[in-house]
Amino acid sequence: MTDPGTTPDASSHAASTAQPEVAAPPAAPEAKPRLWESWSRWIFAIGEDRLFLVLSILIGVFSGLAVVCFHVAIQFVRFLFLGSSLSPNLLRVVVAPTLGGLCVGLLALRVFPRSRGSGVNQTKLAVYVLNGYISFRTVISKFTMCALAIGSGQSLGPEDPALHIGAGIASAIGRGLKLSQKKVRMMAPIGAAAGLAAAFNAPMSAVVFVIEEVIGNWSAGVLGAVVLAAYSSALTMRQFLGPHALFRVPPFELTHPSELIAYVILGVVVGLLSLVFLKWLSYARPKVLALPSWTRTLQPAIAGLMIGIIGIKLPQVMGAGYIIIDQALHGQFTWKLLLILGLLKILATGISFLSGTPGGLFAPALFMGAMLGGAVGAVEQLFFPHVTGSVATFALVGMATFFAGFLRVPITAVFMAIELSGSYTAVGPVLISVMIAYLISRRYQKIPLFDLIGRQDGVVLPSIEELREQVTLVAEDAMRHDAAIIVEPDDPILDVARRMDGKGDAPVLCRAKLGEWRLLDRAQIQQLAATVASSATGKAAQGATAPPGELRNVGGAPPANTAGPAGPVTGVPAAKAPRRAGEVESKGPLPLVFPDESLEEALRWAGDWPVLPVVNRADLGKLEGILTLADILKAFRTAAAE
Amino acid sequence: MVRTGSALGVLNCSSAPSETHKSAGRSAGYSRETVLLSCVVFLVLLLAVTAFAARMYHKQEHVLADQWFARGEAAFRAGNALKAAKYYRNALVYSESNTAFQFHLAQALTAAHTKETDEEAQSYLLSLLAESPGSGEINLELAHIAARQSNKMSAQDTLRYYYGAIYGVWQTDPLPKRWDARRELCEYLLAHGMTAQVQPETIALAQDVPLSDLGRQKEAAALLARAGLWDRALTEYRAILSSHRRDSDALSGAGLSAFHVGQYAAAVEYLAALPRTTRMRPEVSSAFAESREVEAISPFLNRLSRRERARRTVEALTRARALMQNCFGGNVAPPNLKSGTSKPGGAVAAAQNGATANSALQQLQATLAQKSRVWKELNFIRDPSQIVDAMDWVFQVEKAAAQTCGPSRSLMDRALLLIAKSQTGSEA
Repeated sequence: MTDPGTTPDASSHAASTAQPEVAAPPAAPEAKPRLWESWSRWIFAIGEDRLFLVLSILIGVFSGLAVVCFHVAIQFVRFLFLGSSLSPNLLRVVVAPTLGGLCVGLLALRVFPRSRGSGVNQTKLAVYVLNGYISFRTVISKFTMCALAIGSGQSLGPEDPALHIGAGIASAIGRGLKLSQKKVRMMAPIGAAAGLAAAFNAPMSAVVFVIEEVIGNWSAGVLGAVVLAAYSSALTMRQFLGPHALFRVPPFELTHPSELIAYVILGVVVGLLSLVFLKWLSYARPKVLALPSWTRTLQPAIAGLMIGIIGIKLPQVMGAGYIIIDQALHGQFTWKLLLILGLLKILATGISFLSGTPGGLFAPALFMGAMLGGAVGAVEQLFFPHVTGSVATFALVGMATFFAGFLRVPITAVFMAIELSGSYTAVGPVLISVMIAYLISRRYQKIPLFDLIGRQDGVVLPSIEELREQVTLVAEDAMRHDAAIIVEPDDPILDVARRMDGKGDAPVLCRAKLGEWRLLDRAQIQQLAATVASSATGKAAQGATAPPGELRNVGGAPPANTAGPAGPVTGVPAAKAPRRAGEVESKGPLPLVFPDESLEEALRWAGDWPVLPVVNRADLGKLEGILTLADILKAFRTAAAE
Repeated sequence: MVRTGSALGVLNCSSAPSETHKSAGRSAGYSRETVLLSCVVFLVLLLAVTAFAARMYHKQEHVLADQWFARGEAAFRAGNALKAAKYYRNALVYSESNTAFQFHLAQALTAAHTKETDEEAQSYLLSLLAESPGSGEINLELAHIAARQSNKMSAQDTLRYYYGAIYGVWQTDPLPKRWDARRELCEYLLAHGMTAQVQPETIALAQDVPLSDLGRQKEAAALLARAGLWDRALTEYRAILSSHRRDSDALSGAGLSAFHVGQYAAAVEYLAALPRTTRMRPEVSSAFAESREVEAISPFLNRLSRRERARRTVEALTRARALMQNCFGGNVAPPNLKSGTSKPGGAVAAAQNGATANSALQQLQATLAQKSRVWKELNFIRDPSQIVDAMDWVFQVEKAAAQTCGPSRSLMDRALLLIAKSQTGSEA
C-alpha cells in the first residue's frame, strides 16, 4: 500500500512550488520534522480506511457543534422577531415572517444564490453527481438563511438544513485532507447523518434515514462510519443542549389487540392526507418555478406574509412547531383544533417550501402527522369509547405515519417513533399504520418527493426507493440445469466420449476433488478416445489370445514402436494416451458460484472462464447448474424486458 | 425495472462545478498536516464559541422561564386559572423538563374546571406520575380530576389516587397534607353514598388529627357525624369542648350527636349553651325541642320522684289514647291512603296494611280495655313496675300510628317515639 502521506504531498508541492530554473543551491541538511508534523504523519500512516473512521468521529463532533450553534441562532432570531411568548402580538405575527422572508430573498439574490431547497437533494446531488463536493459557502448560506427563515416564523424545519450543513462540513474535511475520490464521495452522507442525528437528537433514526434515502447501501464500511459520526454528533449536541428527547411523550399503552383497528384507520386517513400534500407540492412547484425570475426575491416575503395572516388566528402553524407537537402530545387541543392545525400546516409549509425559502420538511411533517393523527384518534374515541389509547398515542403514531407516507422512509419512521417515545410498546401500531400509509403513497405517487424535486430541477438522481426494491438477479435465475457432463477422475475416456455423443456442446466438467471442478476439452477427449480405441483394435488384430491390455508381438518383426501404434491424430503413442478422465489436460480449478449469489458477482469471472459451475453451498461436489457469460446476459435482457 | 450496480457506483460524472477546481486549487497549496492542524484549531475555536453561545442561550432561557413562571404564579393567586396556565406553558417552553412547572401548569389546568383542561392536566400529571409514582401531590391532583369524571372507571381511579396521596411522599408538611387528602377522600365517599367505605376512613381521620388543631378536630368530628358514627363524633366533640367550652360548632355538634345516641339530657345541655341564633337553625332547633320534650315527658329518668313518674306515665297514656282516636277513629282503622297507594298494587298493600293495622289496633284496644282500670296514677305510684307495661303500650300505639297515619307533627309524639327507641334500641 502506498504511503498516503507522501504521494499527494509530492504532487501538491510539485504543483505549487514550480519555479523557473535557477542554479540549485547547495543541499541544506534535512530539517527535523516538527512534533505536529510527526504526529500527523503517524495519523495518516494508519491507512485511509482507518483514518476514515477516525475522521467520522471528528465530523460528528464538528457537526454536533454546528447544529448547536444553528439551534441557538434559530432561537435568537425567534426571540428577536417573534418574542418569547407562544402567542405573539398581531404586529409581530404578520411582520416577522414577512420581514424574514424579505431578508432571505435579498440574501439569496446578492450573497447566497444557491441556498434554495431543504438540503437533502443537494446532499444527494453532491454524492451522485459532484463526487461528494459541497462548498463551505453552502454551509454558511444554509446556516444563515435557514436560521433567518425558521426563526422569523416560516413553516419549515431545521433538520434537513442540519443534514446539509453536516454533509458540507464533512465534504470540506475530506477534500482538505486529500482523501481519495471514493472516500470524499462517501464523506457527504456521513456528515449528513451526523447533522441529522444532532438536529433530531435521534442518532439511530438519522443513520437509518441516510442509508434509506441517501446512499441506499448497508455496506459495512459506510455503515460503521455513519454510525460513528451520528453518535458522536448526538453526544456532542447533548453536552450543550441536554439529553432530553425532542418531545416529552406520555407513556404509551396498548390495552387490547382490537385497538389496532383504530391504527389501521389512522394509517389510511393520514396516508391519504400525506398523499394530498405530496400531490400538491408536485403540482404546484413547477408552476412556481415557471414564474419570472425577478419574483424569486419576493417569493419568500410573500410566503411570510401569507403565513403571518394564517398566524393571526393560529400562530401555532408558524416555525418548526415542536412546542405545539409537545402540547398535542399532552392532549391540549380538541379534535377540531387538531384537524385545523394539521390542515393549515400543510398549507403553510407548502407555501414556505414552494416559495424557495430555505428550510426543511421533517419538522412540519411531524407536526402534520401529530395533529392529524391526534384528530383521527379523538374522533375514533367519540365513536368507539372502548378505545383506551389517549390522543397522545395517536399523535405519536400519526407523526411516524405521515413521515413515512410523505417522505417514503418507512424504516426511519418506525425507528423515529421508538427513539422519540423511548418505548418499544408503540412498535406494533406504528408498524401497521406506517406500512398502510407507505403503500397508499406508493400506489398513487410513483416518484418519491426528493426524486421528484430533483427531476423538476433537471437532475435525475438515482431513486433509492427503486434501488431498494429492484429485483436482484442471482445465479439461480440464469443457470442451466443438467447442461453439463459430469465426470469423475477415474472415469474411462471411452465412457466419457460415449456420454458426450448426443449431448451436443455440453461442457465436460470433472469433479477433481471436493470443491474443485475442472473443465475438460471436448475435442481432446474425442481424439484421445479415438486413439485409445484404435490402439485396442490394433492389439486385437495382432493376437486374439493376447490378454487384454497387453501388447503382444505375434509373428513377424516386432513393431518399430514397442509402445504400440500411434494415435491417428494426437500423435500421442496409443500406449501413453490418457485412459482416464483425470489424466486429461484440463482448465481449472474453476471459480465456484452459488445459486443465491448475485449475477454481478458471477460476472467478475464469466469473462475469464467459459463456464462456471454453480454448486450447492452445503455440498461443493453437487453441481446445481452451469453459468456462462451468454446465460448471464440473457437473464439480464429477459428481466429488463419484463 | 432491474438495475445493476450499487447506488454509489452508478454515476461517476466528473461534471463538478467550477468551484471544485477553484477549491482544489486553493487547497492544493496546503499539506494534509496543515489542514489537519487547522481542523483541530478550528474545532477548539468552534468548541469555545459553541460553549459561549450555549451558555448565553441557557441563561436567557432560564430568565425567560422564571419570568413567565412568576407571571403564572401571580395570575394563579389572582384566581385566573386559564391565564396562569397560558403563562406556565410559556415557562415550560424554556424549561421543558422542569417538573415543577409542569405540575403548576397541571394545577392551573385542574383549577380551570373544564373537560378540556382536565384532559390536558391529566396528561401532564400522568407523565409526572410515571416519573414519581409515590408523589402525594401528583396523586392528589389526579384524584381531583378523576373525581370530576362520572364513570365507573373513574371511581376506582379516584380511590386509587386518593390512597396514593394519603400514603405517598410529600415534600413539605406531610402529616397535614396526608390528613387533608384523607379528609377529601371522606368527602368524596360521603358525596357518593359509600357509607361502608367512609366509616373506617373517618375513624382514621379522627385518630390522626393533631390535638392542638381545633379546626381539624371539628372537621373530623363533623365527618364522623355525617358518616353516622354519632358516638365517636360525640367523643370528639367532648374532647374539643373540654378545652373550648364555648365553641358553638362543637356545642351544636355535641348536642346533635348526643341527641342521635339518645343522651337527651346532654343534648339539651349542649344545645342550650348555644347562642340563640345558632339554636334557631332547623336541625339544631328540632333536636333541641325534641330533647327537651323527652326530658319533660320521659318517666324513665333517674332523678324523677314516684309521683312525677306516675304523672308522666298518665300523661303519655292520655296522649296515646288521643292519638288512637285521631288516627284510627277509635274502632276499625281506615285504609292507609298515605302509604304506598300510588304504587302498583298499592290498593292491595293498603288493604293489607289496613288489615294488619286493624288487628294491631284491636289488640291494643283489648289491652287498653283490660288494663284501663289498673293504669291509674295512684297505681303507678304504688307499683312503679306498671309504668313499664303502660309505657310499652304507649310505644306500640305511637309506632302503629306512625306506620299507619304517617309521622306525627306533635312534639310529644316525636318525643315518645324517641323514648321508645332509646328504651327498646330499635327504630320506630
